[in-house]
Amino acid sequence: MMKIAVLIKQVPGSESPLSIADSNVWLDEEKVAYIMNESDNYALEEALLLKEGTQDCEVVVVSLGPERVKKIIREGLAKGADRGMHLNINSNDVTDPLSIAKIFADALKSENFDLILSGLQSDDLGHGQTGIIIGELLKMSTGSLAVSTKLDGDQIAIKQEMEAGFFQNVRMSLPASITIQSGLNTPRYPSLKGIMGAKKKEIKTLDIDSSDQKLKISKLYLPSSSNEITMIDGSPDQIVENLVKVFKSEIKI
Amino acid sequence: MLSNLERVLFIVLVIFSSGLSFISYSRMFKAIGRGTQPINWIKVIKNWPKGLSVFLSQKTLFKSRTFVAIIHAGVAWGFSFYLIVNIVDVLYGMVPDFHFLPNHFVGHAYRLFVDIFTMLVLFGVLYFLARRFLSKNEKLNINEPVLISERAKKGIRLDSVLVGTFIIFHVGFRFIGASAEIALNGNDWFQPGATVLATLWIGLEKENLVFLEHLSWWISLGLIMAFFPYFPYSKHAHLFMGPLNYMASVDRRSPSTLEIMDLEDESVEQFGAGKIEHLPQKEILDAYACIMCNRCQDVCPAYQTGKELSPAALEINKRYYLNDNLKDFSEGSSSLESLSKWMLSEEAAWSCTTCGFCVDTCPVGNEPMVDILRMRQDLVLMESSFPRDAMEVFDKIENYGNPWGLSPQDREQWTDGMEVPRMRDKKEAEYLYWAGCSGAYDDRGRDISRSVAKILNESGVDYGILGNEESCTGDSARRIGNEYLFQMQAEQNIETFKKYGIKKIITQCPHCLTTLKNDYAEMGFDLDVIHHSQFISEQINEGKIKPKKNINDDYTFHDACYVGRHHGEYDAPRNVLQSVLSDEAKVVEMPRNKDQSFCCGAGGGNMWYEIKKGKRINIERFEEAVETGVKKVATSCNFCMIMMEDAKKVTGYDKDMEVFDISEIVANNL
Repeated sequence: MMKIAVLIKQVPGSESPLSIADSNVWLDEEKVAYIMNESDNYALEEALLLKEGTQDCEVVVVSLGPERVKKIIREGLAKGADRGMHLNINSNDVTDPLSIAKIFADALKSENFDLILSGLQSDDLGHGQTGIIIGELLKMSTGSLAVSTKLDGDQIAIKQEMEAGFFQNVRMSLPASITIQSGLNTPRYPSLKGIMGAKKKEIKTLDIDSSDQKLKISKLYLPSSSNEITMIDGSPDQIVENLVKVFKSEIKI
Repeated sequence: MLSNLERVLFIVLVIFSSGLSFISYSRMFKAIGRGTQPINWIKVIKNWPKGLSVFLSQKTLFKSRTFVAIIHAGVAWGFSFYLIVNIVDVLYGMVPDFHFLPNHFVGHAYRLFVDIFTMLVLFGVLYFLARRFLSKNEKLNINEPVLISERAKKGIRLDSVLVGTFIIFHVGFRFIGASAEIALNGNDWFQPGATVLATLWIGLEKENLVFLEHLSWWISLGLIMAFFPYFPYSKHAHLFMGPLNYMASVDRRSPSTLEIMDLEDESVEQFGAGKIEHLPQKEILDAYACIMCNRCQDVCPAYQTGKELSPAALEINKRYYLNDNLKDFSEGSSSLESLSKWMLSEEAAWSCTTCGFCVDTCPVGNEPMVDILRMRQDLVLMESSFPRDAMEVFDKIENYGNPWGLSPQDREQWTDGMEVPRMRDKKEAEYLYWAGCSGAYDDRGRDISRSVAKILNESGVDYGILGNEESCTGDSARRIGNEYLFQMQAEQNIETFKKYGIKKIITQCPHCLTTLKNDYAEMGFDLDVIHHSQFISEQINEGKIKPKKNINDDYTFHDACYVGRHHGEYDAPRNVLQSVLSDEAKVVEMPRNKDQSFCCGAGGGNMWYEIKKGKRINIERFEEAVETGVKKVATSCNFCMIMMEDAKKVTGYDKDMEVFDISEIVANNL
């Protein structure tokens, strides 16, 4: 049986009100509207598409975080994942990709996944390394920035996005850990049957000891905003002309 | 009149026809019985006064096409009178020497009525046949790109010929028979038409006249026997299925408020309607009541702007599907194809703005819009097949509590710089002012909310707002078909209402109004919800606010579907508008106004996704406003406002025309 793990992270939504907690090292969670990390949602859809194209395949959604992350695990189950794993951690202190990857690697080792998919990077911390480090720790093939995937026996072929509009086709042997670029598919909306069925699917909880951390946030602050706004008035033609001038001479695009 | 042999033949014909009729009628009712939500036939029968009054008054026809309605009334009354005539004629044929009260004034009146109605029916049906086959009447066509089965296209023409010919022959030969009898027995001045016709037979032998009378009797009544079993396959069945459909009509709180789904019931396998057997029985009955007049299509904003939707085609396709599969379907075989393959395309289903005009205008009480809402439920809840933009809206409502996807903490920003009392400070208030998402996030919507708050402050009424504690009512989610998301939103808001003991709500958003008032009541939570136009109108009448009659410009007023057809309020917004107009100014109505008003295009979730086919509905409506020659348009709905503002820019009238909400006009003139 093919076993695919999808690593999903719960992050503050882009329109969520963000205010810094009294501790000055994290957000005031009370007011935050949490959603599934965007590229993780694409990774999940990619896993579900692979499952639909493969006989005998299991998709497991895995998320690290406090109790609240169960919401996105349920969301993953509603969309069609078979079971969930909740790596339960009660603090926000572990923020570096190596420590996080170690937690995942420990938890996933015994499951012997053939494929681990995760989003390219998280929308909150944005290190973009976790999926690759997990692959290295578990001695799997690794690939990043995949814009297409295709299973082929005990291999997987992916198309990777490079700099400056270049792409690269890579074939690697399983097991593999691959990070997924947003936009490669169309994430589905869970059907009502899926939502109701998700309530009955298994979510295994593993309590994580959070003492190990390589990195410590000393201060979190909002970027200072500048009030320098120049209004460009005039007819549409004049506006365009002036705007082009600004692009050329001031912003230097 | 008849010979003994003829009598026996007629009895055989009646038995034969009854047997065939039994088969076809029981199939029809079994097919209807395949639907969900069983019709309570006892209750339907007890509704007979409703069916009878619609049938006799013909009032539902007079909502549109007045001339056709008059002709139809003549045919309908004539034809129903013919039920008595047929019985009398059978007795005349079967009972030797029978004549219906030949020397009594009742008999005279009867014969006079038959004579008049015969001519009315003949004239009416000839007119209808000419209208269908000789004139190129666009209204009788269903244009591209609407999905309509080839069978239906041919079937409608054939059925029209058959039914028309049947009526002309049935009534015509009865008329000839009567004239032959007059030629035999002498003139009858209570049958002037037949007496005139009888002059044709002068010079015929007596035996020829007797033969003519017998032949006429046989054709006239034989046709009834031949046609009776065919009725369930013909649109002409509307003559009894129409009134029956009226008697079976469902009382909805609003035209688009469906019953609440029990999402926790694990025995339920199907949500919404993906196949015909998922439709409620009443909505299968709709197909049998439909006479295919296309009145619904005439008024449908989607059809009129060239989209894939025609509510008429929906009912027609349903009927022909039943006709084609009647035997198997009535015997319980599962229909193989989903509704979107043959009844209504998916894009057509998304093109519906739930304006409710089709339901309101249908003379036989059909609800094609409700079918569409049920199809959407299936597409969303079962198939996960719907416009991509709608999915984003679902996510935004779920994550941020508003379809704009903006921060829930910015919801009360519109109050900045004004005194607007919060429920969280006041704890209780007589009225809740519900600004809604559009009133909180859209720029023009915020202007409107500030105007309403200004009026509320001026009137001195005890009110509060929920501010950041408010969350989307779930209107768009429910109309798009996402019952799950709607119920989540409703439960959340109902909790908040309970917390502050809220009973009365004022809102300027007609979509919030409908949902809070009707859909929440369906959820089991009753609220007294009024539209801001009603509140302002009331405050003016009671002298609580005194707007100055300062406005010297003429205005035209665009009725919102969810204030008008869905809430029944046409006068309040006009009264409010009138209260600020000086003696020089007036309200110039658009051709389509009040209950005939044309949608802005935003309802039923269409605010959030775009159907690219055809003309944009808001442009069609805005052009109607432009044609009044008036430079100012008044609205009473935030969605209509957004649509009109958008159309104003697209059509290049940005500098020449202005759109205001009635509350803005009042607030500026306090």
